[in-house]
Amino acid sequence: MRFVGFLLRRIVGIAAVMIGVSVITFAISHVVPADPAVAALGDHATDAQIAAFRAEYHLDRPLPEQYVTYVVGILHGDLGKSIRTRRAVADDLADSFPATLELSFAALAISLLVGIPAGIWSAIYRGRVPDVIVRVAALAGGSLPVFWLGLIVIGLFYYQLGWLPGGGRLDTFVPPPPTRTGLYVVDSLLALDFDALRSSLIHLVLPSLTLGYFSTAVIARMTRSSMLEVLGQDYMRTARAKGLAERLIVVRHGLRNALIPTVTIIGLTFGSLLSGAVLTETIFSWPGLGRYATASAISLDFPAVLGVTLLAAIVYPVANLAVDVAYYWLDPRIQRG
Amino acid sequence: MFRQLRYTSIVFAVVLLVAAACGPAANPSASPGASASASPSAGGAASTLVIDQDVSDLISLDPAVVYEFSGVLLAHNVYDTLVRFEGTDLSTIKPGLATSWDTKDAGTTWDMTFKLKTGQKFASGNAVTADDVVYSFQRAIKLNKSPAFLFTDIAQLKAESIKASDPSTVVISLPKTASPAAFLTILTFTLGGVVDSKEVKTKETGGDSGSAYLLDHSSGSGPYVVDHWTKNAEVLLKTNPNYAGTKPPLSGILVKHVPESTNQQFALEKGDADVARNLTPQQISALQGKAGVSTTTAASLLLVYVGMNALKPPLNNVNVREALRTAVDYDGIIKDLLKGNGKKIQGIVPLGLAGANETAPFQADVAKAQTLLTQANVGKVTLDFLVPTGTAPGGVAWSDLGAKLQSDWAKIGVTVNIKQQPTADLLTTYRAQQGQLVLINWGPDYPDPDANVGPFTDYKAKSIAYRNGWDDAAIAQKGRDAALITDPAKRVAAYKDITDYVLHNGPYVILYQPTELFGLRSNVKGFNWSSIGWVDFASVTK
Repeated sequence: MRFVGFLLRRIVGIAAVMIGVSVITFAISHVVPADPAVAALGDHATDAQIAAFRAEYHLDRPLPEQYVTYVVGILHGDLGKSIRTRRAVADDLADSFPATLELSFAALAISLLVGIPAGIWSAIYRGRVPDVIVRVAALAGGSLPVFWLGLIVIGLFYYQLGWLPGGGRLDTFVPPPPTRTGLYVVDSLLALDFDALRSSLIHLVLPSLTLGYFSTAVIARMTRSSMLEVLGQDYMRTARAKGLAERLIVVRHGLRNALIPTVTIIGLTFGSLLSGAVLTETIFSWPGLGRYATASAISLDFPAVLGVTLLAAIVYPVANLAVDVAYYWLDPRIQRG
Repeated sequence: MFRQLRYTSIVFAVVLLVAAACGPAANPSASPGASASASPSAGGAASTLVIDQDVSDLISLDPAVVYEFSGVLLAHNVYDTLVRFEGTDLSTIKPGLATSWDTKDAGTTWDMTFKLKTGQKFASGNAVTADDVVYSFQRAIKLNKSPAFLFTDIAQLKAESIKASDPSTVVISLPKTASPAAFLTILTFTLGGVVDSKEVKTKETGGDSGSAYLLDHSSGSGPYVVDHWTKNAEVLLKTNPNYAGTKPPLSGILVKHVPESTNQQFALEKGDADVARNLTPQQISALQGKAGVSTTTAASLLLVYVGMNALKPPLNNVNVREALRTAVDYDGIIKDLLKGNGKKIQGIVPLGLAGANETAPFQADVAKAQTLLTQANVGKVTLDFLVPTGTAPGGVAWSDLGAKLQSDWAKIGVTVNIKQQPTADLLTTYRAQQGQLVLINWGPDYPDPDANVGPFTDYKAKSIAYRNGWDDAAIAQKGRDAALITDPAKRVAAYKDITDYVLHNGPYVILYQPTELFGLRSNVKGFNWSSIGWVDFASVTK
């Protein structure tokens, strides 16, 4: 019962966030002085064409009325029509979001698989060579701009060495697997299409490394510091005194406790991966949400920008909710409130 | 052990919950990508031309809808038109689906009769008939999308004046105020593309004239058909099995969406792309002499210019405008900023169109410009100068071009304050006659001098002359008259008169006509880019 109440409070919170985000985004996007109809139709359009376009998108109505129309649409599952692509925003998002999701999952997987062991290693060897290596690499990860890193890895691994593809989701002549989830790795597995699977995996390597480097660095540093804290605890000394093997002490007694803060930042990291995808997707010709968002913003495509914003606004709190729920089960102290 | 398992499962649960939350969006059942997999892959690398291009402008492949660079390039190769221009030549109209045509003065109208070639087929196997032509043109008028004004405004065409007098004859009546010559050039454009009416009618849903279907499918008689369009990723064209003309050498044309020019350059050098569409002048220079790669240039019909709003003093003074034109270092812009990727032109009709005026009297004459300013007697001149963000045609940053003009004008004592804005913002100001000096470009809507002379001279057309507050009724009438002249030589002479007048009296500083740049693999031949913005893929080999 206590859990249901906790969940309900969180869901109400998310709804409030959504309303706030939609109002702010709507207001900001409509104070831009330029006319989206002009942006869409260009300088050749006649006044009549522009007037017709404004009417089609309700741009000729007062702002509060436009907002109400928009919200009513959302409640009916209609995110409106994109000014740039002239398609339903929901369809556009459905086309581009899976690509971003796949890239973000891959980047998250790299962050966890590399970041956590690196953090532990660094903590165990505090002050020695492995620690210095991890800390320097983490510092670089935190400070290298994504666009620079992306161009460098393409230049090296694609252009110079020719080991990996330089962009896109699949090789030129590999047809995409039948769409079920939109995640090519999953879809090609479901279809037992191993050509597409191999191709989609190797195409993920460079963009997910580029995108995941920053979060790997964050997770490594977080794991290192919490691991250092745990390693100094009394129960660790007790475990050692009992004569347990060092490996057992570190993994079973240390890591389990040190991971708690790391779980916390996974939710945040996932959200930041989605937003970091904008640059990565442009550099790697990745047909995802980030590139869609950029193109929409440039062409003043309000319905599309709002759609992307709302989607991002859902992903953040939902990821955090998932972390909270995990915590709730993980740490009995939270249950007792 | 149990607790450890619980940890692992919690991490998993987090990931799964996030995935589940995104579930509805991650289920694109309507995704066109789904149909892509159903079709066989292209004939392989050897017979498919791979073009890396920024196609973020692509919104449809429907000939009644496309008016964007990428869409026009693709639709042109999928839909035949009644008449066409061949290769890069824009002066001679050649037969397309029509084998002959004739314009008759029918008193109150021009009656244009088109005789269709026999044996032409659509990709479906249906024969091309006069009914298809009537359906296609009426469909374009009914849908009334971006390019429809070419029919309805420029040619003043009404749906009911398009008729099939027999299965192979189309008769179109235009009002006497419209130009038959301009209409013929409009017919060469993708808007004049003929669709398979029998097939399209079966695809109509909710009175949409099949536009939902033709958005990413094709129903034409051109050398290629649309195999698939994966949104934001690629479009594949394959040869039309029922094409009546010579079978194209290449069985597939793959246009990949690669927005970054660096990626395009890398892919070209590695041989993963055959054509790179959006390379900068610096990249083109860097490619010189590299093995396996060549570069080529092509003409465009764009003009990069500065509009001077004649409603804003002192720009209402013709001497001030002439002084600004006289002070600009046009040669320096082309040589230093564009690295040669532009041509000097100072008239309002671009080179390549009938009526282009090559007179170029202005070139950085500071003394003369100062004399003109003295004659104008307007005191110290300070003006706002709107400059777009991003890159201008020809590959120079708009801001660099703006700064160059600012320094040229500073030499004659004119101060301009640069205000940089995204193009959409800038156009909103410009369209409302609120600019003072505005740096921007213009491309004709159809390859005829009237497509420039009208907008640049006719205040009532509410286009460029209007935006610059230049209301000169006499020159506007001369422009309208010239459009209707049927004798080509007389028409060119009339345009010479008009362009000479605008050169010194108009509110424009025409800066240059940019050149298009392409990176190609050395084995790609026959890539003849037309300045309208397309290439006939059927003539390309590799």
